[in-house]
Amino acid sequence: MNSPTTAPNRDLREIIREEPLMRSRILEVLADGPHTVPEIADAVGRPTHEAMYWVMGMRRYGWVREIKDVTPEGYFRYQAVEKEPRA
Amino acid sequence: MTDYDALVVGSGIAGMESALKLGDMGYKVLLVEKEASVGGRMILLSKVFPTLDCASCISTPKMAASIHHPNVTALTYTEVDGIARDGDGTFKATIRHKPRFVDEAACTGCQLCETACTVAVPDQFNADMVARRAAYIAFPQAVPKKAVLERAGTSPCTYTCPAGIKAHGYVSLVRSGEYEKAFQLVLEATPLVGTLGRACYAPCEGDCTRASLEGTLPIRRLKRFAADKHYAAEEAPGIEVPPSNGKRVAVVGSGPAGLTAAWQLARRGYGVKIFEAAPVAGGFLRLAIPAYRLPPEVVEQDISNVTAIGVEIATNSPVTDLEALRRDGFDAVLVATGTQASTSLNVPGEKLDGVLSGLKFLRATKLGSGTDLSGKRELAGRRVVVVGGGNVAMDTARTAVRLGAAETTVAYRRGREELPAHKAEVDDAEHDGVRFTFLVAPVEVIGDASGKVTGVRCQRMALGKPDASGRRRPEPIAGSEFVIPCDTVLVAIGMAPEGAAFGSTISVNANGTLVADKRTLQTAVSHVFAAGDVTTGASDITRAVGEGRRAAHMIDRWLCGETLDGFELDDLLPLVDKPSVLARQKAYGRGGALTEAGPVTARDFAEIEAPLTESEARAAAGDCLDCGVCSECQECVTACPSDAIHLDMRERIEEVTVGAVVVATGYKLFTADAKPEYGFGRYKNVITGMQMDRLLAPTRPFNTVLRPGDGKVPERIAYILCTGSRDETVNNPLCSRFCCMYSIKQNQLVMGALPLAEVTVHYMDIRAPGKRYDEFYESAKSMGATYVKGRVAKVTEKPDGNLILRYEDIEHGGALVEAEYDMVVLAIGVQPNRDVERLFSGEAIELNDYHYVAEPNEDLEPGRTNMPGVFVAGTASGAKDITDSILHAGAAVAQVAAHLESGSGAARARQGQTLKVPA
Repeated sequence: MNSPTTAPNRDLREIIREEPLMRSRILEVLADGPHTVPEIADAVGRPTHEAMYWVMGMRRYGWVREIKDVTPEGYFRYQAVEKEPRA
Repeated sequence: MTDYDALVVGSGIAGMESALKLGDMGYKVLLVEKEASVGGRMILLSKVFPTLDCASCISTPKMAASIHHPNVTALTYTEVDGIARDGDGTFKATIRHKPRFVDEAACTGCQLCETACTVAVPDQFNADMVARRAAYIAFPQAVPKKAVLERAGTSPCTYTCPAGIKAHGYVSLVRSGEYEKAFQLVLEATPLVGTLGRACYAPCEGDCTRASLEGTLPIRRLKRFAADKHYAAEEAPGIEVPPSNGKRVAVVGSGPAGLTAAWQLARRGYGVKIFEAAPVAGGFLRLAIPAYRLPPEVVEQDISNVTAIGVEIATNSPVTDLEALRRDGFDAVLVATGTQASTSLNVPGEKLDGVLSGLKFLRATKLGSGTDLSGKRELAGRRVVVVGGGNVAMDTARTAVRLGAAETTVAYRRGREELPAHKAEVDDAEHDGVRFTFLVAPVEVIGDASGKVTGVRCQRMALGKPDASGRRRPEPIAGSEFVIPCDTVLVAIGMAPEGAAFGSTISVNANGTLVADKRTLQTAVSHVFAAGDVTTGASDITRAVGEGRRAAHMIDRWLCGETLDGFELDDLLPLVDKPSVLARQKAYGRGGALTEAGPVTARDFAEIEAPLTESEARAAAGDCLDCGVCSECQECVTACPSDAIHLDMRERIEEVTVGAVVVATGYKLFTADAKPEYGFGRYKNVITGMQMDRLLAPTRPFNTVLRPGDGKVPERIAYILCTGSRDETVNNPLCSRFCCMYSIKQNQLVMGALPLAEVTVHYMDIRAPGKRYDEFYESAKSMGATYVKGRVAKVTEKPDGNLILRYEDIEHGGALVEAEYDMVVLAIGVQPNRDVERLFSGEAIELNDYHYVAEPNEDLEPGRTNMPGVFVAGTASGAKDITDSILHAGAAVAQVAAHLESGSGAARARQGQTLKVPA
């Protein structure tokens, strides 16, 4: 897992700007089923807090949604939404 | 007579309350809000204390009333730039209406523009915890619920493009994986997408803001990437053209200007025919630029865009009689024949066998015939001297190398610094093995008895004072002549139009350029226009494209009977301020590094520059700083079902006269990273109280309360009270008055949202002095929240993102304790909003010792400031909770009414015109 302390502390704007860039990579990861934010971060090779921004941005605009149940470790899993994105 | 009885600056709860109460009294009120919605901060809260009523449920009726009240004019996305007292005691206020770029009347609030937008920015209405888009509606309960496009100006890449291509737009589309849309966006300007993706000298990259950091984005190569993607999948351009409008335009010349003009005109329904003198279309794209830089098949693909929409191209069809075209039924003619003539050396021996102009040499090479220098075998082993220092000279020299020349030398009369060729071209030429001899000028070409070249006699030069071009003038050094032995001399010292061919119809300058208006491109013969190098002299492809685009626009207007003056072809916003762009971030770091391929030593005409891979292109586009914020990608324009997006909206200034002013500009939140010992900004799971309020709100940025660092549901949450308040170390000795209570509110809400969570509050003392506040505190304790008295000294982060708090436990013997939490909430305090200091001119509004608006007699006359007619409401005068803010606004309103009734005749004069509001 990419821990917050080992991750480079990039500026917020820099991370958020990359959401459109990372979207397709994250959707590729979710193609094989729902994943937690740390799992997604591992799969795309980026820090968890950066993945958090991207996943939540994608959730906001309808690309992913959470599964109701939380994993034993305390994480929600997110799945790709197979429909036109919404606002 | 005033325009309004009162101006209320700021539409938070105090501003709204002031405006509504004054409106209810019958006064005419102007309420000005700088954000896109009224409501201030209260609408962003989860619930209010101590009732735990929904903040939205309380705020939204007031917000709606503020907008719809018959006596209140509410302006959102508008700023008060200045207020000055008028002679009669009233005030003149300068109101700046910021452009939304959205027609409020047409916008339905559907958010399709937001969904389509390709630019992600931090959402200030969600305390930067999630992205919004450059096109956005402030928040779901926004009033008015109308979209805004955030535009800081025109991005440098777009601003500088002579072709009018929205470079930021296509970069943004590539970043989003919308390659075909990126291609289509370039097509809006020119059909030459693949060509410009290779052969443009990319002024956009020269102005890229990222260039001042780690280096420019490869903007040109991103265009090539989009073009390659398109052409790999599609043969047709994929656009619809309108039905014919019955008018015909002749375009003379099929270079970049002619092709672009034809493309633009055909897309407007004109019947267009291009007349090209050469056996192939494309002008210098096909006849000069070497294939290793611009493969002919790429030009063919670009030209196929033009023919696909009905443009006819007649090759081997030189035109000299422009009037004949008129007689043939063309309603307008565009001359775009470029610069076909080469400047000669004018030295003895120029007619010797082995001397050729660079242009003819390149043309012969491209066409594969026409001169004995065209074949590799013919140049093999030869010693070639190229005279000149421009881009054509570089193309000529590098082509000579590829044709097998044993030795290729560029002779240039000035120094390296003065070379007019683009630096990249010079570097690549050197890498190819081209030698450079600077500060030399040919004085004679020497030949043998058979008339063949044996060398060039040159004279050494020294640089004197700058000439008209600004470059230092080369001056001969007496007695310095020497000979460069060679058997081929290629002359590339300049190009000129062959405008004289059209001299019977239109005026021609002494240098061969055609006379046309620089802006309208119209010649003295009204139906004849001229564009590109034939009017400007030699320039480059991108400028020629821009001229072609402009010419098409002008011809269209002329044929439609419209004026050619009084408008701008590209009505761009001003260039964005680069220092402001760079100041948006504290740190810079590219997400994905683009590995620049080293120069390849090529000995043939295969294309040198490798294409970007998809991942390289996406990563490179991801480095874009979005300088202008909005990229002008046009996705919102396409998505909007109401045609509400208007990128041509501009700022509007209005002056109004008002009888009184209410300052309700609120407060600013303490910047939590000013307490570095708590780690905000460094530790991802340290958040502020405002951020926690957003996490608890129904319109929250996450699906529930989660750690921002990794999305984990927190089980142990700590609060640190008095962060930035009652703290001399950050120059704020004041209590912020509501941090204790909002923390207690959040404690209860967190325990409701996360029943298993443990909440611990680290405090100095709890201040719960309001009505039922203490009961509210006791209720939180009874729900299970733990309150620990003692200042937290330090927060440290563990590798798993958990946080260690080190604190003194005062109530248990004062021991130093360390405790581990999943998440830490900093109950940040408030600071004065000092923007108010810039509000007034001519006199200063008095501030108290802590820089809040002073109320000189606050015990007896709350709301009054030192300035007669100027009042203050809410937290602009000091920290207050919502209840107190509303009460204070009421006091200010009473003061305003007293002022208007007692002193201002203007107010009385207005009363007959205002609407009576039922009680």
